[in-house]
Amino acid sequence: MENIIILNASPRAPKSNSKIYAQIFQKYSKLPTEYFNINKLNHMEICNKIEQFSQVLFVFPLYADSIPVTLLNFLKTLENNPPKNKPVISVLINCGFIEPEQNDTAVKIMQIFCKQNGYVFGSVLKIGSGEAILETPFRFFVSRKIKKLASSLKNKNYGVFKTTMPISKNTFIKASTNYWINYGKKNGVSKEEMQTMKIENN
Amino acid sequence: MKLILTDKPLNISTDSLDKSVKIIDLSTLKIANCMGCYGCWTKTPGKCVIRDDAVGVYPCIAKSDEVLYISSVKYGCYDTTMKTMLERAIPVQQAFIRLVNGETHHVQRDVAMKNAVIIAYGDISAEEKEVFEKLVERNSKNMNFKSCKVFFTTESLLEETVNNEVRKWKI
Repeated sequence: MENIIILNASPRAPKSNSKIYAQIFQKYSKLPTEYFNINKLNHMEICNKIEQFSQVLFVFPLYADSIPVTLLNFLKTLENNPPKNKPVISVLINCGFIEPEQNDTAVKIMQIFCKQNGYVFGSVLKIGSGEAILETPFRFFVSRKIKKLASSLKNKNYGVFKTTMPISKNTFIKASTNYWINYGKKNGVSKEEMQTMKIENN
Repeated sequence: MKLILTDKPLNISTDSLDKSVKIIDLSTLKIANCMGCYGCWTKTPGKCVIRDDAVGVYPCIAKSDEVLYISSVKYGCYDTTMKTMLERAIPVQQAFIRLVNGETHHVQRDVAMKNAVIIAYGDISAEEKEVFEKLVERNSKNMNFKSCKVFFTTESLLEETVNNEVRKWKI
């Protein structure tokens, strides 16, 4: 039976945008799905679970231009504890920058893992402006592409998809500045305080 | 300031170098994973809310104008020790976005522009080398590298490779 295990590898998985992207995927997936957050303590539990699924969808944010260490460490455990039947691995990645292409290196790292460990690589969805897009009228751009991603896994017609806010970079910078000012305001921190040039006390 | 950041203990000869060289062996430090809480941008700007050994490292990264990073490579990425530290270094950036060569990136705080040398070691395939080089090229835009060089070597030749690079700092 075809089914999908969705693994959220965001370091803040329970409160992450990746979780929302995963929920949208579950809404559109015509294949049965199960969702798990990866954490330090459940690597083996998930490695054992993967055996029961024909496909894996990793959902995660770009961290320091590549995959988060949460995911790197899980992949290393999976390498040492492979399932008997290896599922197809797909990726849904988001970055806070407007260019979805900034996710490319992280995708290549996932492809190398697959190649070295004998997994077929499936589809990719690269999301730009992923930190804020869900709170904007452009949310439907993401939903539409996640629907396509879900269809590609269902039909085994794997492909590369991408999406971002359809605005100019200068407008994006203005919008993201306001987004972060409001984020700081909720914590009682002003724009000027957030702009400090000091690192620790230097 | 010159900084050597290594993911394993190494015998590095710095005798004839000036005192501005700092060597940090990450394998001896206690550094937790970044939680992605954005605290260093929006709660205590410039300071990580996790008060472990990383808070002594990222200010050194920021101050240095010459850096030598030494890391094993896994799947074309920095392996766990170095990657964990690089993720914890985001307090050196602001949340705010700017354009760098037409691409969006975070604004830096007081971070020196750097000449960076990355020594990547291990049994690294040609494909991993290619991806790792792309990763460092990406890093250069987010980590204020004005120049960067990547050298690949084996674990057995690592110390020799590192000392060769360090000797260049004497010139």
